[in-house]
Amino acid sequence: MKHTTHARSNRSKVLLLALLFGLGVVVAACGGGGDGDGGGSSSGGEGSDLSGSINASGSSTVAPITIRAAELFEDESPDVAITVNGPGTGDGFVQFCSGETDISNASRAIKESEAAECEEAGITYTELKVAFDGIAIMTNPNNSLECVTFGDLYALLGPESEGFSDWSDGQALADELGGSNSFPSAPLEISAPGTESGTYDSFIEIVLEGIVEERLGEDASAAIRTDIPGIAEDNVIIQGITGSDTSLGWVGFAFADENRDTVKALQVDNGESGCTSPTVETIADGSYPVSRPLFVYVNNEKAAANPSLEAFIEFYLNDGYTSAVTEAFGDSGYVELPDDQLQEAKDAWANR
Amino acid sequence: MALSTLGNHSVTTTAVERAILGKGSDSKGLIFKLLVGSSIAFALLVLVVLLFDVVTGAWPVLTGRGADFLSSDLRSRASESGVFQPLRGTFWIGVFVVVFSFPVGIGAAIYLEEYAGDNVFTRFIDLNIRNLAGVPSVVYGILGFSIFVKFFDGFFPNSVGQHAGKTTAAAGITLAVLALPIVIITASEAIRAVPQALREGGYGVGATKSQVVRTQVLPYAAPGILTGTLLSLARALGEAAPLILVGAVQDKLGGRTGFFDFAQFGEQFKALPITITNFAGRPGDDWQEVTAAAIVVLLVLVLMANTAAILLRNRFEKKRG
Repeated sequence: MKHTTHARSNRSKVLLLALLFGLGVVVAACGGGGDGDGGGSSSGGEGSDLSGSINASGSSTVAPITIRAAELFEDESPDVAITVNGPGTGDGFVQFCSGETDISNASRAIKESEAAECEEAGITYTELKVAFDGIAIMTNPNNSLECVTFGDLYALLGPESEGFSDWSDGQALADELGGSNSFPSAPLEISAPGTESGTYDSFIEIVLEGIVEERLGEDASAAIRTDIPGIAEDNVIIQGITGSDTSLGWVGFAFADENRDTVKALQVDNGESGCTSPTVETIADGSYPVSRPLFVYVNNEKAAANPSLEAFIEFYLNDGYTSAVTEAFGDSGYVELPDDQLQEAKDAWANR
Repeated sequence: MALSTLGNHSVTTTAVERAILGKGSDSKGLIFKLLVGSSIAFALLVLVVLLFDVVTGAWPVLTGRGADFLSSDLRSRASESGVFQPLRGTFWIGVFVVVFSFPVGIGAAIYLEEYAGDNVFTRFIDLNIRNLAGVPSVVYGILGFSIFVKFFDGFFPNSVGQHAGKTTAAAGITLAVLALPIVIITASEAIRAVPQALREGGYGVGATKSQVVRTQVLPYAAPGILTGTLLSLARALGEAAPLILVGAVQDKLGGRTGFFDFAQFGEQFKALPITITNFAGRPGDDWQEVTAAAIVVLLVLVLMANTAAILLRNRFEKKRG
């Protein structure tokens, strides 16, 4: 009796182990190509013998650029491990200034308080402007509207416009905010990206956030009207704009520019440089207001100590640059720097 | 009264038969039957719709890319992205749960059921374990961060510059702790269900307490213990919230550590539930397909664990006779 039960429990242990091992083998058989394939996909870069790891964090808006640059770099130098996280610009600087990260992605320049923290920790860094996050505000070419102010956009799309279904509904609010347009009495058909899109966040941060804070206080419950249809596909947003004569919406500038024949990109006036159309030039010189520069901050000491980090930034600003910026979301991306500004970034990196 | 009932035997039988089986005789019962029937139909319908939706969404990716999807990492393009790193992470987290929480949990259950006396203290412990099983998983994430991540900070070389303790090992142990109360409870229930006569029989032939536990109680309780423990494994595999706190990488994780390379225990990690969330948050139909495919991978992993549980249970039950 004792013998048989012992044999039995032993056999059951073996069986349990065998099953768990089998589970592992099946999973490994499915995924086992991982190391082999991973190395194999770098067929073009057998010359590189760089190895090391790089850690980037910061803005989730900039992360796609750095991720695209990183994956192209890793294709050439498979032994370099680049990890990119996107908790937000502010959180990114906290990590950066405590020496946790090598690279900090930022959708704004570093604040004085943050710079002071870096200095306190003895961290020196190089600021590199890498791209522009430009947003085109669009309507149908048949709409006679030409130029809008941030106030107009707030009146039509801000949290106080919840429920407005007609352009004229926003008139009173727009007048109050100093607008000079007279909106037509026509259906307001909004065609815009949803929360999963970086462009949605960027629009709020660039256009609406300032007015929201001014009017509703910092702890306002919403920064945008919540009854807009969140459209995931840029194509579908364009279709929505062309589908109605009195539509209103926004997409990333690069995508609107490709469709400039079918949609009208509105001029925008925020009181500084008058009504300005979005073009590569007005975005690059900063006169088009619905746009912001995107930055990458690099820790100088870590770059000096880590050849793979130095090589990665070189790649980022040179061979990988265009692809990283314009293919950040796969098929679309951000606005590239004009040559002189890109050269400035390269010089800043060289003279760090 | 009794006599007359006996006398009208056949009449009573027909009356009772009509009351139970006759048409319209038990309308309340019929409604109840319909209600419970529609409950199971609803539950199954939801499951079928869910599975159908996920599998049809995933079909183009699974058939078109197959092994490539399982062997590649997150990339900017959905068509190049895969689940190698998160699959690796979730698999090893599962191994940690099996290795740490199963022996400890079953051991604790044996102690509670067989050795500990029934007094205020053990009832207090029992109550606490039950409460622990109901603690939201995020709380375990905070525990994992403040204890295990900090502990492993000092353990591994600070190779990535990040919080060095945000590793597969820390995540695995955190989820093992999360699964522990559930393992203890299910194992306790299974041990409690062992007939007392079995133990008494053991003592009757002169066996010691530990012999009775090993040769009588455990083999009899094994199917129940297995079912419970592997279900808790399935739950742990699907957890996302604690892993976010323990530092699962949500975007791009560098490195090409192999599936069975133990070095990964000391490296940052990804996990399937979090990767699914990340994929799902990306715009476009192609990302939705990749999301569905990743969900199918997680479902298959969990199903494999459950299948293992069922096979083992059947085996033990057959032995038990």
